[in-house]
Amino acid sequence: MRRRLLEALAVASVMIALIGFLRLSVAGQAAVPQSAAKTPVPQSAAKTPAPPAAIPKTAWGQPSLEGIWLDEFDTPLERPAKYATREFFTDDERAAQNAERAGNSGRNVRAEVGSRQDVAGAYNAVFTSIKPAGRRTSLVVDPPNGRIPALTAAAQERNRIDRDFRLALLQNTDTCKNKMTACSGWQYGPPSPRLAEVPPFYNTQRMNRHNGPEDQSMADRCMSGSEPDFIGFRRIVQGPDSVAIGVDTGQGQGFQRVVYLSGNHPPSTVRLRHGDSRGHFEGNSLVVETTNYSPKWPIRGAWENLKLVERFTRLSTNTLEYSVTLTDPTVWTAPWTVKQELALQPDTENRIYYEPRCHEGNYGLPALLIGARVDEKAFAEGKGVDPASQDTASCLLNPEQQ
Amino acid sequence: MRRWFNGSMVATALAAAAVSAVISLSVTRSAGQTARPARTPSGQPNFNGVWQALNEANWDLQAHEARSGMVTQKGVYDYEYARVPAAPVVALGAAAGVPGSLGVVQGDGQIPYKPEAAAIKKANSENWIDRDPELKCYLPGVPRAMYMPYPFSIVQGTDKIHMTYAFSNAGRVIHMTKVAGPPDDTYMGHSVGHWEKNTLVVDVTNFNGKNWFDRAGNFHSEALHLVERYSPISADAIRYEVTIEDPNVFTRPWTIAMPLYRRLEPNATVLDYPCMEFSEEFMYGHLRKQQLVKRWEGETIIVDITRKIPPGERLHDWYRR
Repeated sequence: MRRRLLEALAVASVMIALIGFLRLSVAGQAAVPQSAAKTPVPQSAAKTPAPPAAIPKTAWGQPSLEGIWLDEFDTPLERPAKYATREFFTDDERAAQNAERAGNSGRNVRAEVGSRQDVAGAYNAVFTSIKPAGRRTSLVVDPPNGRIPALTAAAQERNRIDRDFRLALLQNTDTCKNKMTACSGWQYGPPSPRLAEVPPFYNTQRMNRHNGPEDQSMADRCMSGSEPDFIGFRRIVQGPDSVAIGVDTGQGQGFQRVVYLSGNHPPSTVRLRHGDSRGHFEGNSLVVETTNYSPKWPIRGAWENLKLVERFTRLSTNTLEYSVTLTDPTVWTAPWTVKQELALQPDTENRIYYEPRCHEGNYGLPALLIGARVDEKAFAEGKGVDPASQDTASCLLNPEQQ
Repeated sequence: MRRWFNGSMVATALAAAAVSAVISLSVTRSAGQTARPARTPSGQPNFNGVWQALNEANWDLQAHEARSGMVTQKGVYDYEYARVPAAPVVALGAAAGVPGSLGVVQGDGQIPYKPEAAAIKKANSENWIDRDPELKCYLPGVPRAMYMPYPFSIVQGTDKIHMTYAFSNAGRVIHMTKVAGPPDDTYMGHSVGHWEKNTLVVDVTNFNGKNWFDRAGNFHSEALHLVERYSPISADAIRYEVTIEDPNVFTRPWTIAMPLYRRLEPNATVLDYPCMEFSEEFMYGHLRKQQLVKRWEGETIIVDITRKIPPGERLHDWYRR
């Protein structure tokens, strides 16, 4: 009986992710998580190292980073402008946000039942986690305004070229005819000749064309997991000369990292999905430098010249501070830094799902390609609409729903 | 003799560990490589590092002679030994054959299949390309992940041991304390370990039955239960032994054993083999708008094999390159 139930639950990786997220949501709504219930850490404490006596050590004397770690709060990556350079919420502001999140805001939004929009927008808020508000106003802590620095002119131009291609593929659809958000900046028009073009850059996002796997998003291809990851569970197993980090980022797209505490990055000709990570300890922090990223797995457009410097600092028995500085002068006009406080999760509950197996159950990708071939065939035989007039890429949401 | 690493061998293992301790202290390592103590600070054999099996077990756990191709077809003769490479690999010549092996199955070298399971194994073997989960880049499972021809890393933590495999970025955690199994069956299993003197003994359960042991079609069900034993031969070699039990498929438990070797080159690193992406043409190529597929014969796709060969009398051109 248990087995049958569990098999049903495992039908799709989406469900697996859902289970994890729901558990979080329940924890978040029924009671404020343990770490949040404590007196908020004074703002000045953010820059003060915790007393070393409180920090667990490994048998070989390094600060122990071991355990399953999670950011139990939902914090926007970038800071809303109204908070300017203020890094932390007041307790009242957090309480107000949590009261709002505990309601059902956004969860009953539904397009006309049975419509194309209704079916395509099947992921309503029930499928997304609602974690409580943390003390931070944004994950980005540097620059001081909590915003990712401006893109370089070259990166902006690259984004424009990429966006224009995607919008051209969408221009003959109702999304553009009805001036929906997904078409903003573009005009409704006849099917674009660009539908026959190779994308200007290696594609990593969903586009309104499904000629083959490369037209799909990395998530559709079960390959979206990459660091830095700010939402997933991560299990750290620490050895004297390397550290393993298993990341469960949901949707079965987790991944494994090994941080070597010796050696050098591979030659720059070797490009890796998760880059190459080399670490060393500085005081209580494991400092990890990662380079050698791949053009197939860019991080916000950065890969070739991207350098990540992560710092894992054990602040107390139950808290691990994680910070990461992203530097790529060809993409961003300045480096930027994210900081999170991660809470230790109970191991006995199997808080982490360490077997990412989206690929093994990926019926969605072949079904999408089969659907596209069927539509093309029907249109060629005069039995169907022109596939170019159909939006199979955006979520078909009206502006007020996004 | 069937289980050549057993109780009586513990003394040998202890001796080997003692020797390895001496070796690791006395041998001068090559430049760039960190000398590793033979034991962890907790006193266990030190398995931290990058490892790899060096054998042909991923081709076939059992003893086998070399073959002309990964996929073969009947040649002129009816003899099994006279088969020739078949279309999927014929363009790759001698690079696509299968190396021979003395096998890793202990005792009489036989895998004790139940009769109905033996028939499935045979069909698996005959339909290797269509059925082997390795070709689809599915998580390789245990024990197969341990002897695929790719390196893997072992990180020995305080109460967990983490293995990260190059193949498919697969991972595995061995819990050295009691941790309940995951809420679903898995490809990589649920591993709980303990030390018996110098040997790491790992009990592996919670399989989903979707993995194979090798490319020969050897398989198991979700009832698979493994007991792995990792014993140091030296600082740089582990004797890896697995007892395999699956009452749905086998009439009795059976055992495989092999050495695992430390990758000794400086800067040894597990570079991902991101095969999900590599397998897309294999899995979804026939669903592309522009396909390599020329035609279908029933459920078989016919794809052109492209080779550059000087025709007829110009054959000698081929040898000049």
